[in-house]
Amino acid sequence: MPEVTALTEDERDCYQEITNVAMGQAADRLARLLGVYVVLPIPNVNIIERSEFKMTIKSLEDAPSVSAVCQGFIGAGVAGEALLIFNDASFKDISQLLKYSQTQTQEEELEMLMDVANVLNGACIQGIGKQLDINFSQSHPVILGRHRPINELLDEKHATWQRTMAIEINYTIEDHNINCDLLLLFTEESVHHMNRLISFLLED
Amino acid sequence: MTTKVLICDDSNMARKQMSRALPDNWPTDVTFAKNGQEAIDIIKAGGQELMFLDLTMPVLDGYQTLEAIRKDDLPIMVIVVSGDIQPEARERVKKLGAIEFIKKPVDQSKISSVLSEYGMIGGDDA
Repeated sequence: MPEVTALTEDERDCYQEITNVAMGQAADRLARLLGVYVVLPIPNVNIIERSEFKMTIKSLEDAPSVSAVCQGFIGAGVAGEALLIFNDASFKDISQLLKYSQTQTQEEELEMLMDVANVLNGACIQGIGKQLDINFSQSHPVILGRHRPINELLDEKHATWQRTMAIEINYTIEDHNINCDLLLLFTEESVHHMNRLISFLLED
Repeated sequence: MTTKVLICDDSNMARKQMSRALPDNWPTDVTFAKNGQEAIDIIKAGGQELMFLDLTMPVLDGYQTLEAIRKDDLPIMVIVVSGDIQPEARERVKKLGAIEFIKKPVDQSKISSVLSEYGMIGGDDA
């Protein structure tokens, strides 16, 4: 199979628009859960090499410490991972919105992280699947790390892939100090398959 | 009578999807804009009657575009078409003067029912 080294401008535009719709659905779920307005960004879509991985997370690079949850997904011909990375500074505001006590335990914080990950990852993955007519199954979310510098968390030595399509969505919440990054990483084989699927959407 | 329609979205695919979703038998003259600033410039040049406006865009986003239209009292009807389906988004754009909010991905029947509701197409076209 030939390597996927870059996307055409039309392909990138198409993935961006599909993501735009899916992240809107995810934001709606989160907005209802927390009773807030979620500010939607323009998603970044790129084919990246393993060595470029850390550079994709621009919006959180200044965060002193982060916590992350990852969750695999797989459907017909397409597989990948959703990585939700929280700026640790967000926890205080999230716990207020979810009406947890001021001094939260480690367990409560973990529960919060999992709750938000379930809502955001799930809605986003299913939203993309629906538009591509793929029924994705999701694995259980797994904690990738907590309260660590982002550089440590995303150590490329642990990555099993060489090249991936990365979709980055930076969610912020209006009037609150909450900032998280949802990264969707698709395997190279998946990108071949998805490029065929979207070619129908791109026809004139 | 031909209606002058402006479609404003940063995505090329979304612009195409939107123009394809217009009723088949509705005579239109469609112009495209890639962001809010382009749209404002086109509206100021005159002649546009109806705009389909995306929210999340670079340069000038949908909210800012609605504000600019209101500030200069530009004569155009705006229907917002967005993936941002939070109830708050709908409320905000209505407050800023949009006549309707349609969620993405757009479908032809929804567009037709909105257009006939506002008398832009006859009931038979819907």
